[in-house]
Amino acid sequence: MRAAGKRILLPLGLLLTLGLLLSSGLSSESPIQLDWGLLSLMIIAVLLGLLYWDFERSAISSREVALMAVLAAIAAVARVPFALLPSIQPTTFIVIISGFVLGPRAGFMIGAAAALASNFFLGQGPWTPWQMMGWGLAGLLAGWGKLFFPRAFLKGLPIFCFGWGYIFGWLMNLWSWLAFIYPLNWQSFLVACAASFWFDTLHALGNAAFYLLFGPTFIKILNRYGRRLKVEEIVPAAAGGAVNCSFEAGKGRSIKKQ
Amino acid sequence: MLEQLQFQDKGLMLQHLHPLAALAYLGVLAGLALVFTHPLYLLGLLGLIILAIQAADGLAGWGICLKFSLGMSGLILLVNLLVVRAGETVIWRGPQLPIFGELCISLEAICFGAAMSLRLLVVLSVFYLLNLIIHPDRLLRLLSRLAGRSALVLSLVTRLFPYVFRQMNNLQEVLRVRGVDFQAGTWRERQQKYWLLFNSLLISSLENSWELAEAMQARAFGSGPRSCYWREVFRPRDVLCLLASMLALLTAIYGHIKGSSTFQFYPQLDYLLKDRLTLLLLGIIIGALSLPVILSWGWRRWPYLNARI
Repeated sequence: MRAAGKRILLPLGLLLTLGLLLSSGLSSESPIQLDWGLLSLMIIAVLLGLLYWDFERSAISSREVALMAVLAAIAAVARVPFALLPSIQPTTFIVIISGFVLGPRAGFMIGAAAALASNFFLGQGPWTPWQMMGWGLAGLLAGWGKLFFPRAFLKGLPIFCFGWGYIFGWLMNLWSWLAFIYPLNWQSFLVACAASFWFDTLHALGNAAFYLLFGPTFIKILNRYGRRLKVEEIVPAAAGGAVNCSFEAGKGRSIKKQ
Repeated sequence: MLEQLQFQDKGLMLQHLHPLAALAYLGVLAGLALVFTHPLYLLGLLGLIILAIQAADGLAGWGICLKFSLGMSGLILLVNLLVVRAGETVIWRGPQLPIFGELCISLEAICFGAAMSLRLLVVLSVFYLLNLIIHPDRLLRLLSRLAGRSALVLSLVTRLFPYVFRQMNNLQEVLRVRGVDFQAGTWRERQQKYWLLFNSLLISSLENSWELAEAMQARAFGSGPRSCYWREVFRPRDVLCLLASMLALLTAIYGHIKGSSTFQFYPQLDYLLKDRLTLLLLGIIIGALSLPVILSWGWRRWPYLNARI
């Protein structure tokens, strides 16, 4: 009971902080009126904290950790050869496919880790938390999409990859809009998005092209390695029949009588 | 160019700060830059950060921040000029635009855009300073106390990044030796060659991940609470930096409540110096935040101080 209380304390605290931050931003009667630029960064930090907390409390094997790290490293490295081409980066495509095949938690972790780690080499900036959120969410939503609509989402993956190019750009615009522009209304956000329209379009087209060229084979390879994370062992039952013990990384052990 | 954005150990005092103290210092600098709207406060912060960057021996690479923020500043100015109608000192009235109505450029909008560009430069410079003074491993080690598993994944990614990059170059070289010319052929042929490279990189990296997992398993990953082999020491310089950051933060909160650190841009520009409190609080904040820079200067020139802190 006490351990459960401790486990729930951190997310509750983070959710409370999130509520307080949002209320201080929206209420004009708050004692300290914080700038939305700072508030939005704090809100993103709390959201990232909640998602990391979810990863921390999950049961995870060394194979999964290694696989996530390798995929995040590939996604991060993929940014470098395309650094000179504006907005064309295979990272988004790699993260989406990883999330689709390995699940939402792994997808988020690969996206967020790729953003943070690659910026250690390409330069950290105020964009880092937003990139972590943008790529993390791409992996997370791709994983959820597969969980809830497996067939339809597979067919719609090129559209998702294309659309995420724009969503990622809008998410990145959000901070500069909140921190440096006044007044905060739809016209000013429209101008901020219009300024990055061609970059976002290139990103979206790049994602769709990467998916159409490499996507199916990439999914096949990852599926094969994803299956290797699962170990199924047939144990002869003491009395009649057999017991099928299945070890699926991160999901514990389930035993079915055959 | 990218090397200038990465950490390089130069044995400087700022690089020897405890990561928590350094993060607190940088966090206060970035937070204040996002809270202040008063141009004098923003200029004060910018001057201080330039001194800190010089103390971290990174002034040569700071030009990258300057160039990037100049590019972004143009955009910030443009958006502010297009959408703001709140300024009373109108400089130029232009034609009617479809979504935005009449184009109206005011002095207040130009000043607001300039102040926000200054803010952007300060924030970018703070992150540049972060790249200069905190080693990624030390940062991740600090994170590992809060979230061990996430820090492990991040550490592995930072370790694997140069390895995967080298592996990609090696594979490219192997393919070239075998006669694959990445520059020759039609677009479709080139795409197939690059896919060959990416495919080889992916499969070899995934195979390596099993070895990595076995190594982790052999080191008892997940068998119990994680052990800690290395501990950062909290020294007097770290305490001084933390105290200075706290003092600056508390003064800034007081100034924000009193309205000294904020500047009214609309409908008309406010006075730059409203009262003596504005200057006094600015002095306290800049004085407190310059302590690490002064200590860094003393560290280089005064062996006694070097030994004491």
